Amino acid sequence: MDSPKNATNSLTNSLTIRIIKEKIFLISIAVFTAAAIIPLFHIIYSVIVRGIPALSIEFLLGSLPAPNDGLGGIGPAIAGTFVLVFLSSLIGLPIAILAGIYSAEYPNSILGRLTKTLLQIMLEFPTILVGVFVMQVVVIPMGSYSALAGAFALAIVMMPYVAISTEEALKEIPFTYREAGFSLGLSRFKVVFHILMKMARKGILTGVLIGMAKVAGETAPLLFSAGGSSRIYFAGLDKPVGAIPLLIYNLIQQPYENYHQIAWGAALVLMLIFLGIFIPIRLKIKEVKL
Amino acid sequence: MERFKLGLLPFTAIIFGIFVLMLSVYIINSVEVFHRQGLSIYTTNQWVASEDPEKERYGVLSAIYGSLYTSILAVIFSLPLSISFAVFVIDYAPERLKEWLIIMNDIMAGMPTVIYGIWGAFILIPFLRDFIMYPLYRLLSFIPLFSFEPLSGYSYLSAGILLGIMVTPFASSIIREAYRMVPFTYREAAFSLGATRYEATKILLGYIKPAIVAGIILAFGRAIGETVAVSLVVGNTFNIHPSLFAPGYTISSLIANQFGNAFIYRYMTSALFSAGLSLFLIGLAVNILGMYMLKRWKHG
Repeated sequence: MDSPKNATNSLTNSLTIRIIKEKIFLISIAVFTAAAIIPLFHIIYSVIVRGIPALSIEFLLGSLPAPNDGLGGIGPAIAGTFVLVFLSSLIGLPIAILAGIYSAEYPNSILGRLTKTLLQIMLEFPTILVGVFVMQVVVIPMGSYSALAGAFALAIVMMPYVAISTEEALKEIPFTYREAGFSLGLSRFKVVFHILMKMARKGILTGVLIGMAKVAGETAPLLFSAGGSSRIYFAGLDKPVGAIPLLIYNLIQQPYENYHQIAWGAALVLMLIFLGIFIPIRLKIKEVKL
Repeated sequence: MERFKLGLLPFTAIIFGIFVLMLSVYIINSVEVFHRQGLSIYTTNQWVASEDPEKERYGVLSAIYGSLYTSILAVIFSLPLSISFAVFVIDYAPERLKEWLIIMNDIMAGMPTVIYGIWGAFILIPFLRDFIMYPLYRLLSFIPLFSFEPLSGYSYLSAGILLGIMVTPFASSIIREAYRMVPFTYREAAFSLGATRYEATKILLGYIKPAIVAGIILAFGRAIGETVAVSLVVGNTFNIHPSLFAPGYTISSLIANQFGNAFIYRYMTSALFSAGLSLFLIGLAVNILGMYMLKRWKHG
């Protein structure tokens, strides 16, 4: 039979071990949480430190120089990014918003459920596959890379974000508003577009802006569709067009120091564009699904 | 059927149409290489590009291997970070800090991947090579996992860690949402029995285990589909090697690097489409599985 002393020691040891485990647990939580966030700060720090030396008006407006010939500018890429975002919004937004409305209005129909699931799948879809697909169905028939092809690729990437945020914004509206509209004899069209859409406007706009910020930073869909253009600003919808992320991707892989510096400068511009859109939106709403 | 519903159908159909058309395009364009090489396109590692079609041979096994290897590394790296972040945000962060942590999480999730790529290529790789890879190589090069001398630093490990950093915000969002939904009474019950914070958290994490698994699966799907960042750090070499330090290829980086000159060759485009098809199907299967598990846990 254990003596009372042994029993006490055993209990004390057990409690000590449990306390030690708890302390190790808490320290681990803190360390891993920091490890999860530190890369963000280091990325922002690196991009700022390495990108600032390149920044100037000439850098924003000029065109790409020859290898080892200074910093020149990334004007065509900036112009191209705005053209592509504008065009892809033109193509993608109406389809996405209306598909989102369908999904929200008919959640129990087979098509409504399938649409929701498909949109969620497309949200995680490898974007390189979109680029190759658009190359096959747009670029090859057209005979050249083009702004239109790039915009189409980005529209495909953008649509799931916008459609899902539209659907979720509409679903958050209490059912009583819908009932009130119907009780006044309004048609479903009027209920949706005059009442619900106005109430959901903020949520939908948020989704649209996040979708646009997202596609402004996309590289993979553009690899085989937009073609890239580092010296011509805009030559028409059917001609190749530049984009900041595409330029960065290509310059990183070049063996020239000035091209690497330009890549960092372009990364700073891209990051400022992204954060400039994203942070204000994010501060206004609770959470974002990405 | 009412007119409103009919009016919306075309737009819903467009989304379905794009998806079906995409899948069709990949299947149709893969048929040529399937006819010529059968499944050896997926089971061999060869890339014999020749202007004489008779001599051409392609096998994307090294890319499939690289995709799976780097994505598994990413998930292994990401799991402790994601869970810790989720637990810290829900249980321990002061309200104001909690808000900012979630914002930072969302910024990381949405950040353009090419920015991760440039940081990975110029900052992360030199760091990993000099402070992680070489020390491990010198000490443990007799172990196959560490047996490749990291001359450049472009490697499975670099790609795996970068992908891990990129998918952590995504996985932690899923885990955090699940953790937040644990009924408060469970926590109270655990503490009322004298559990330490470690023990209570362990119980609660056990409760949301299916959601954690779903988060891992979805993070894996996202990692395997990444193109730009990984192609800048993986080394882009036709290589099948067990060492973390060896350079390799992934399916997406193979496509990104090779498609530009594929049209010179008779069969290369078809080979690349078949690689894309495998990525398509892997991604589809992984995402459906992850979403199914998440949904079942929420309604189970």
